[in-house]
Amino acid sequence: MKNSAEPSGSTLIKKSGLSLSQKQGLTGWAFLFLAAGLIVLMNFYPMVRGFMMSLQTGVGANMQFSGFVNYTRLFEDPRFRQTLINTFIYLLVQVPIMLILGLILATMLNSRNLKAKGFFRTAIFLPCAVGLVAYSLVFRQMFAFDGLVNTVLVNIGILETGHNWLGTPWSARLVIILGLLWRWTGFNMIFYLAGIQNVDTSIYEAARIDGANVFHQFWKITIPLLRPIILLTAIMSTNGTLQLFDESFNLTQGGPGVSSMTMSHYIFDTAFAGNPMLGYASAMSFAILLMVALLAFLQLKVGDRR
Amino acid sequence: MKVKLSRIFMYIFLSVAAFLSLFPLYWTAVSATNTTPDILAASMTPGSQLIANFTRLLELSSLGRAFWNSARNAVLLTALSVSICSLAGYAFEVYHSKAKDRLMSVLLLSMMIPFAAIMIPLFRLMANMGLVNTTLGFMLPTISTAFLIMLFRQSTRSFPREMIEAARIDGLNEMFIFIRIYIPTMKSTYAAATTITFMAAWNVFLWPRIIMMSPDSVTMPMLISNLMAGYVTEFGVVMLAVLIATLPTILLFLFLQRYFAEGIMGTVK
Amino acid sequence: MKKLLVLILVLALAFVVIACDNDNGNGDGEITGSVEDGGTITVWCWDPAFNIFAMDQAAIIYQAINPNFEIEIIETPWEQVDEQITTFATAGTLDLLPDIMLVQDQAFQLNVMNFPEVFLDLTDSGINFSEFGAAKTSLSTVNGRNYGVPFDNGVTIMGLRTDVIGQAGLTIDDFTSVTWNDFITLGQQVLEATGRPMLATTAGGADYVDFMIKSAGVSMFNADGSPNLDNNPTLREAIAIYVELVQTGVLVEVDGWDAFIGSFVNDVVAGTIAGCWILGSIQQNPDHEGLWAVTNVPRLNVAGGTNFSSWGGSSWAVTTNANAALAIDFLKHTFAGSVELYDILLPEAGALATWIPAAASTVYQEEHTFFGGQRVAADIINFSANIPTFYFGIFHYEGISALEVAITNILNGADIDAELQAAQEFIEFQMRG
Repeated sequence: MKNSAEPSGSTLIKKSGLSLSQKQGLTGWAFLFLAAGLIVLMNFYPMVRGFMMSLQTGVGANMQFSGFVNYTRLFEDPRFRQTLINTFIYLLVQVPIMLILGLILATMLNSRNLKAKGFFRTAIFLPCAVGLVAYSLVFRQMFAFDGLVNTVLVNIGILETGHNWLGTPWSARLVIILGLLWRWTGFNMIFYLAGIQNVDTSIYEAARIDGANVFHQFWKITIPLLRPIILLTAIMSTNGTLQLFDESFNLTQGGPGVSSMTMSHYIFDTAFAGNPMLGYASAMSFAILLMVALLAFLQLKVGDRR
Repeated sequence: MKVKLSRIFMYIFLSVAAFLSLFPLYWTAVSATNTTPDILAASMTPGSQLIANFTRLLELSSLGRAFWNSARNAVLLTALSVSICSLAGYAFEVYHSKAKDRLMSVLLLSMMIPFAAIMIPLFRLMANMGLVNTTLGFMLPTISTAFLIMLFRQSTRSFPREMIEAARIDGLNEMFIFIRIYIPTMKSTYAAATTITFMAAWNVFLWPRIIMMSPDSVTMPMLISNLMAGYVTEFGVVMLAVLIATLPTILLFLFLQRYFAEGIMGTVK
Repeated sequence: MKKLLVLILVLALAFVVIACDNDNGNGDGEITGSVEDGGTITVWCWDPAFNIFAMDQAAIIYQAINPNFEIEIIETPWEQVDEQITTFATAGTLDLLPDIMLVQDQAFQLNVMNFPEVFLDLTDSGINFSEFGAAKTSLSTVNGRNYGVPFDNGVTIMGLRTDVIGQAGLTIDDFTSVTWNDFITLGQQVLEATGRPMLATTAGGADYVDFMIKSAGVSMFNADGSPNLDNNPTLREAIAIYVELVQTGVLVEVDGWDAFIGSFVNDVVAGTIAGCWILGSIQQNPDHEGLWAVTNVPRLNVAGGTNFSSWGGSSWAVTTNANAALAIDFLKHTFAGSVELYDILLPEAGALATWIPAAASTVYQEEHTFFGGQRVAADIINFSANIPTFYFGIFHYEGISALEVAITNILNGADIDAELQAAQEFIEFQMRG
């Protein structure tokens, strides 16, 4: 950029054929080329290949073109319906609880003269540092038939005999929800906390002088001001939940039966277990992609309007 | 009086939340020092089996190798990923244009692709590039993520533009500005990005399971999963493996947490 | 101009990718390589106490014949073996396959039919398949060609803790050759006296129903491969028994394989039913020395019901990527030709030979102290002679999966017939491909 001291862009054009802003624009492209290229190559390209696969049917290596048969099949598949329902149960129950809990915790951690603030924040965030496989194993052990939760509940006298947490459909789903809450609430809380700390404290000060109580402050100030961040975390959580795989795969193994299995887990099973059906698995993936995009769009619409 | 009550309620609420968050970790640590019967009897106190469990774990698995592989993979991937994505995030913001904004929106779509959907085509691609069983093959799909680019792009909004202008007038070249001025200023964003990327890289399970098949390249999550596959019934040993797999990410977070919060704050401004 | 630039970049990338992304499947299936030069044979198998142990022992025996031979065993859980066959075949990366891999019997034929390019035809390899039990070799035979060297045959056994049932005044003989109804009555006595369930199994699994119908020689599929679930009285009876076992508390459902193994190693239940490969796991707890006994399994009260069944079982496959001559020579001198090997495997790992010449060995008559002096091996051989023949069908995995859903729903109050109807429809749906 030796030329930057030159007075006008017009002389530059003559010298190098590019204006200063064009030159900077090119530098920008050069800087982001590698990152963008990798995403195209490692995400979009396989996705296109996957789409081509979704238009084929057959088992294993014997595949032939069949148009949209795999997509119409989705509507007739009771197991796809079951995993879709499971995934939406996780989405509709767990995501709102997690986000509200995260907001409440963040608000509390932001209150003035709270003692041991650092301790609480660290403690609540710490689960995010635990790997998915590791925490799935710990939760499995805790909720096992002869595991800790049953032993404690029986000893306290809440249960007479142990409950088979992972062996009963509703409680297997509940354990997944509890696991997700444990693992991810702190993560969302950190985002809210950061957002709240950016809010000018004088707004709260003024509200307090006007006699607004804690709940008023929460509803009338915190939530409206954090709306963009709430939207961001809602989209991220929706996205993550619709693609949920590890918890279903490791924590409950989809069971009992397929009563806690998620869509991604079913895709994995369809592609790899028994008679592998790659075309159908790819079609299901596109169905998820479509749902994620649609929900993100809806959330943006709703989030922007208010 | 009312204020006091709500204050007490707040402490109770936070304490319960902190307890529930920490308890599984505490229990894991305690169980790692206990025998199976003690664990089944819901023992909450540290036992004396730590050394015995550790010896048994070494006997049953290649712990040292798995730990080293995970560490090497995660450090390399984090370093590459943070450098490449921060450069891109910086570029998207500092040199922003309509076309770049549009490209960013397209890149964000990649976050919506379920990994299960692209696994086989991705594996095929790696195989044709001869990258199966290599660290590069493990890293390539996750070096660049839209999430990280977005994180840096958002944070760059709070980076003072005057510093760039001043540097340009001093005749510094653009790369130099990025390395010498931007990176040192954005320390906390880098801390947040490093923490998040390292955690993800350390814990990733599905992809290495497919791309890294040789027993020499086993990682910690795979080791735990193999223990879990069922031939080991000494729960204390399994819990010790979980503990060892969890410590590095926890330590990293504790170490970087002050900057971490600041870094996230820069993003959500 | 910038848009153009992006377009060019994307196109360039796409070009590079497509240029290096050409399929290169091969599978000529010719036996290549030489025995004398030796070399390293890589193997995928999964259980350190069982098949990995067996491979290690086989390698030691073969090294005495061929000192240039090395073995590299890659511990790979079965689900992962199955996944990797799919991944490598689909991605055209057969060069990543090992020389030998262990394949579960119920998945053998379907993998050969779906991915013929992966498996080496062993029919003319010189291995004498007539020395194996015909029922066993049929499981790894496709269109009259042999693709697998039989390993274990997974006779289903019932192991019981004599000390625990003793507390209810019962002995192992009370549990031998009984019906399931008898068993449930006895089990309730034990539960009352000791507080322990008799058995444990993984929740939501169909393992029990699977071996029960096999014990009557009944399959989920007709001979033409069509599903037979909705009009199958044996299957219906097996499910009803299973539900009763769970509801009486005689059988407890646990979470996952680790908990299943833990149930009898860690004194939660009074016994276990599984394939005879479980003998290795039973012996994990040294405190149990002398307390176990083995007998046959209860029978269904249906036409053709027997006290004998099979569970699991697997065979060695040689891949098209193998140093074939060496891999075959190795198998020929070990799993298909060494009495010495089976003499080690049976007592140490519970691997029951399906190789007929091994059965004559004296080791099979030895008393086993862990089982209170019982001649466990001889007894199991007797069981195996009585197992009814059985047909898996290509869609066995899907069948089991449908059963798992049905059983879960039935345990939670759904109607048996409606669920079996739904399972039948699910498999018909899957079979449309």
